[in-house]
Amino acid sequence: MPMKDEERDMNGLEAYFDAARAERAAPSADLMARIIADAQAVQMAARSPAPRRRAGLGEQFYRLIGGWPAMAGLATAAVAGVWLGTSLPEGLLGPGEAAYLVDVTPELAFDLAGGDF
Amino acid sequence: MPFDAMGETPDEALLVLFANGDGAAARVLTQRLTPRVMAHAYRLLGQHAEAEDVTQEAMLRLWKQAPDWRQGEAKVSTWLYRVVANLCIDRRRRMRSVALDAIPEPEDGRASAADTLQDRARAEALQAALDGLPDRQRQAVVLRHIEGLANPEIAAIMEITVEAVESLTSRGKRALAAALTERQEELGYADEG
Repeated sequence: MPMKDEERDMNGLEAYFDAARAERAAPSADLMARIIADAQAVQMAARSPAPRRRAGLGEQFYRLIGGWPAMAGLATAAVAGVWLGTSLPEGLLGPGEAAYLVDVTPELAFDLAGGDF
Repeated sequence: MPFDAMGETPDEALLVLFANGDGAAARVLTQRLTPRVMAHAYRLLGQHAEAEDVTQEAMLRLWKQAPDWRQGEAKVSTWLYRVVANLCIDRRRRMRSVALDAIPEPEDGRASAADTLQDRARAEALQAALDGLPDRQRQAVVLRHIEGLANPEIAAIMEITVEAVESLTSRGKRALAAALTERQEELGYADEG
């Protein structure tokens, strides 16, 4: 397009922009009402605190014993107990020390084996 | 704060009042911002019903954003123009299959300033030409030449440089001029204005 024509067209656009400004689409009363209703709903939701959830039995026990520090102590004790139970006989008692062990329930072992005195 | 006393209160301060549960602030913000949001959405979409949906959604996002609004970082209007543009781009992607001829004319809310039939015809022709522009060009042209914003503010809204805004508006105006000239020739009349 020659420069002069382009310039003329660009200037002509101003009339269209003016017309567009005059023909501004306005919101309906219904839309305004919906927007205010949304605003009130958001304000109401912010005002009311979140509902409290009822704690389950497990959670009540957890709180009763004192929360995570107590649970950590219990877990440590349990792990230590398992370790002692599984590692002590081999780790601490050699064949010599085993001789000092006294079986206090020999009858039970005999009964289990189906024996007869 | 009473409703009447809020006329001069800046949008950002009203938003803080809104977040504190002030009902009057909600009404003032709605009355002040909604017409601008609606007009912008319509110019980007060309459809009245869709523009109303976008307007409601943009305002709802503003309400939800209010408690986290960071003072001094952005103007409420800048933030809203950006949200409206993003919502409109999403809508237009979904509306691609709708033919331009099927787009209904605005049904209500016409400004009383529709002085002449020629003005109305021009506004409708411009809207049709705007609908044919790429999204970013349309947004830049509307913000600059219809909303009347300055290039730095448009750059903030579109998150681009001022030079990029100038380039978009320049290309958009050239495309509009070409489309409108073509339309005049199709209709068999020459615009006097």
